[in-house]
Amino acid sequence: MVPEKLNILLADDDTDDCNFFEKALKQLPVQTNLKIVNDGEQLMQFLTNGENKIPDVLFLDINMPRKTGFECLAEIKANKKIKDLPVVMFSTSNSHEKISTLFKIGAHVYVHKPSDFSQLVQVIHHALPMAAENIFSNGQIKYILNA
Amino acid sequence: MAKIKLPDDDELTIARREVIFYKAEKEKLLSELIIARKELVFQKEEKGKRAAELGIANIELAFQDEEKGKRAAELGIANIELAFQDKEKGNRAAELGIANKELAFEDEEKGKRAAELIIANKELVFQNKEKENRAAELGIANKELLFQNEEKEKRAAELIIANKELLFQNEEKEKRAAELIIANKELAFQNEEKEKRAAELIIANKELLAFTYVSSHDLQEPLRKIQTFVTIILENENKNLSENGKYNFQRMQLAAGRMQQLIDDLLAFSRIATTELKFEKTELNTLIDEVKIELKDTIQEKHATIEATELGSANIIAFQFRQLMYNLISNALKFSNPDVPSHIIIKSRIEKGIKAVGTSRAISLQPEKDYCHITVKDNGIGFEPHFSERIFEVFQKLHGKEVYGGTGIGLAIVKKIVENHNGVIIATSELKKGATFDIYFPAN
Repeated sequence: MVPEKLNILLADDDTDDCNFFEKALKQLPVQTNLKIVNDGEQLMQFLTNGENKIPDVLFLDINMPRKTGFECLAEIKANKKIKDLPVVMFSTSNSHEKISTLFKIGAHVYVHKPSDFSQLVQVIHHALPMAAENIFSNGQIKYILNA
Repeated sequence: MAKIKLPDDDELTIARREVIFYKAEKEKLLSELIIARKELVFQKEEKGKRAAELGIANIELAFQDEEKGKRAAELGIANIELAFQDKEKGNRAAELGIANKELAFEDEEKGKRAAELIIANKELVFQNKEKENRAAELGIANKELLFQNEEKEKRAAELIIANKELLFQNEEKEKRAAELIIANKELAFQNEEKEKRAAELIIANKELLAFTYVSSHDLQEPLRKIQTFVTIILENENKNLSENGKYNFQRMQLAAGRMQQLIDDLLAFSRIATTELKFEKTELNTLIDEVKIELKDTIQEKHATIEATELGSANIIAFQFRQLMYNLISNALKFSNPDVPSHIIIKSRIEKGIKAVGTSRAISLQPEKDYCHITVKDNGIGFEPHFSERIFEVFQKLHGKEVYGGTGIGLAIVKKIVENHNGVIIATSELKKGATFDIYFPAN
């Protein structure tokens, strides 16, 4: 059950990657609202200042300035109000250790950023409903999406 | 006659001297005549004397005859005398016979006494012998006592030596104890040093990990973007590109892909070398299933079957071992024989190290120790036997990159992982006859 218009939050400091993501979303047959923040501090502020609607899914880059994706994920999971927010970790790394750490902290889906644009579109397409379904299954399922 | 002194040497003198000399000669002759007369007188006297002597000798003879008669008479008397003496001798002999008998009796008596004495002597000899026996027995008893005394002294001496020995040993023990204390201190010091080194290593590892992270993220990031832009251009600007332009973009894509592969493999290799070794009991089949899922597409493409039933569990570094199985299986798929469907058999068993002896890599195994022995066998293109060690070295490839892609790091990672498990890996193959990888690592 996918909501008609998904509110998507992307936390990524890289302009190119943000552009790729935006471009990829446009190719999906899903109505989406995209909000972009460019570092971990901005992200946490956006989620916790009470002014913004909590998004349906968060795409979270790991390597960001000021506050990393790890720290953000841990803070989200420690915060009662937002701990159920589905988080898709989004990174270039494919380190198994890193991924298993992320899942331990509470990530729902891990996406390995592909280097092919059409694969990026597919991966986001796959990740969206997964994350959305997790809203109803309490975030117990872990996925790794590779290109 | 006196000599006359002559006055002078004249003829007169000489004449006078001659006269004197002749006178002297006459006188001499005269005196000689006197002597001859006297001689005659004497000889007449001597004849008379001889005649007288003869007369005397006759008288003498007569006297001697008389004397002979006297002697004969005396001899007669002497004979009588001798007869008498003979008689006397007979008397004496008789007396001697008696005396001899007397002596014989005395001899007998003496013999008896002697016999008695012999008996008495024998008695004495016997008694002496007895005494000697006693003495000998006493001597033996004394020797025995002496011997026992000696033994006692020896024991005493031995005890003294033993005591000294014990004292010495005690001293040695104390010395050893002292040495042990020093050695312990030394060890403690060395342990401290080791801990310091270990701490330094941990820091160095952290630095390496940081570098790994930088590599994994920062190097891949721009590369990934180049690749993404290429795909966007190829997709969206396809119509605007010449054939040559498209071709060049495709080559760029390939090169970027290779670079990405290299970075990925290098990262995997350095990660294997730097991460903490956390052993945990892991189901091998679970690992294989995960790998199968990851390799799903290739398995389908190669029409491959992977046989791996009931491998059991092993004490391993799980994520490393997954990587190991991934590399071996993907290797087997990659180097499969294009004419035959790929068939990979994975087996696992516990074996003594001695089973593996005979191959050079297995030398470090202990014959009696239990090892987990995992075999990955394929029916692929294989390789010449002399490459069996070289294939495990970093960047070593047996084929050109146009024929078989890859960076030559996969089996180096495999070897590193096996070494992290204190094990050995042995590759056996012949060209076109498939390859077998035998892994041995301690079962506990």
